[in-house]
Amino acid sequence: MDTLEICYMSAGDLSKLVEKKEISPVEIIDAHLSRIEATEPMLNSFITLLADESRTAARQAEKDIQAGRYKGPLHGIPVGLKDLYNTAGVRTTSGSKIFDNFIPTEDCTVAAKFHQAGAILLGKLNLHQFAYGPTGENPDYGHMHNPWNLDMITGGSSGGSGSATAAGQCTITTGSDTGGSIRIPAALCGIVGLKPTYGLVSRHGLTALSWSLDHPGPMTRTVEDAAITMNIIAGYDPRDVASAKVDIPDYTSALTGDVRGLRIGIPKEYFEAPIDPQVRKAVQDAIDLLETMGAEVKEVSFPMFNQSQAISSAVLMAEASAYHRDLLEKDGHQLYEPVRQRLEAGLFITAADYLRAQQARTMLDEECRRLLDDVDLLAGPTEPVTAPELLAPKVLAGEQEIGVVGALTQYTRPYNINGFPAISVPCGFSDTGLPIGLQLAGKPFDELTVLRAAYAYERATDWHNRRPPL
Amino acid sequence: MASDKELSREEFDCLAEQLGISGDPAYIDELYSQVRGVFIGAKTVRDIDVSGVEPDMAFVPRVS
Repeated sequence: MDTLEICYMSAGDLSKLVEKKEISPVEIIDAHLSRIEATEPMLNSFITLLADESRTAARQAEKDIQAGRYKGPLHGIPVGLKDLYNTAGVRTTSGSKIFDNFIPTEDCTVAAKFHQAGAILLGKLNLHQFAYGPTGENPDYGHMHNPWNLDMITGGSSGGSGSATAAGQCTITTGSDTGGSIRIPAALCGIVGLKPTYGLVSRHGLTALSWSLDHPGPMTRTVEDAAITMNIIAGYDPRDVASAKVDIPDYTSALTGDVRGLRIGIPKEYFEAPIDPQVRKAVQDAIDLLETMGAEVKEVSFPMFNQSQAISSAVLMAEASAYHRDLLEKDGHQLYEPVRQRLEAGLFITAADYLRAQQARTMLDEECRRLLDDVDLLAGPTEPVTAPELLAPKVLAGEQEIGVVGALTQYTRPYNINGFPAISVPCGFSDTGLPIGLQLAGKPFDELTVLRAAYAYERATDWHNRRPPL
Repeated sequence: MASDKELSREEFDCLAEQLGISGDPAYIDELYSQVRGVFIGAKTVRDIDVSGVEPDMAFVPRVS
């Protein structure tokens, strides 16, 4: 099989071939390492590449499978982890040279689950330093580049995960999403990014940004792969104080292709905010298609959407500054300047303002719960714009020029505040060939409905089959 | 710290010193601009009517 075809196959398809012994994990890993060698100088997706280690693991997987010890759909599948997921014996930098030599002795829960499932770790992926930024900037390990246009950002903070998945460097990657850090690079790089319900995937062993807003989750090229990954990584973990004790369904059971009767609400406030007309049209077309397929679509009102940036900023900045305060005092001068500035600016938030934001957060949560009494999902754009240029401070959203950070987090932050599940799926391309994402958000712990709608939409379109020009 | 009135440069410099923040003038200028943004955001949050709402962040003692 052509190596590029292997690199662009989904985990769902690859695993069928692996199980039938029609393809070997060694062949899969070699294909991906070749792809990485060819594309990495342009993309900068990786901080640490585990070429030898992944080849060794692939040989072992091949032996196990040949001996009848097949572990399931991730056995022999190449995975990349955002470099703030602790990995035993493999350095974990959090995107900063301060931790260039930090080698954890223990896997984080998610890494341990991937390992147990037989997945093969290809490497640790680049990120916005300490995950504190939505663009994918990192002067310590190099800025990340969008595979669809190398002059553009990947989005962040999980930028390396976005580029590696979109460019066929990894089959499955992970991100962590505090204000949109899974969904932003997913939308800008043209892949699927699922932010699960808060507490559904363990945060144990991940470098925190904001304890109450951090959500680990999968980044993949297909909705099926997101569901397959959730089957492995979701579940209660006593080592995470926020971990939820809930039953874990088979997430692939949601992949019916049927949206008949599904009620989808479109918050009118989404389209009153600054938005690129091409994004607006692509998202509207996607919603229209879902309606044609049998979903019931109606306009709803989500007034607190307009305060969500302020609420999220107060919580996130205060928590991030508290978490990183010792680092800031000791090694602040070594931080990327915009990251240091955000951390220092967070020190000016009073406890009273932080708690006021938490009160407002409760109100936003209640407002969304009321909305989701009448509909099953809320739909809209993931991003108001396509990928901006690298290091640009502002971006044009329609006729309005707005700050890049505010623009990129405009639609994603509400679902970090309330912790509801939200997915970004590709729903079109701009005239300049840059991807556009559709965001679907559901009720807490109702990933099944989110995945059901996303899968049905994906199956009815071919956006996910396009490949970047690399 | 964060209040409804605009943060003057003098007030900012004083607070920054108390927080142990230092840097070259260009850095501090940029930080001042950011902190003014933080104050504007805090004012937006303060303007939300949260009467009778308890923040949903209860600490539940674990059973040991």
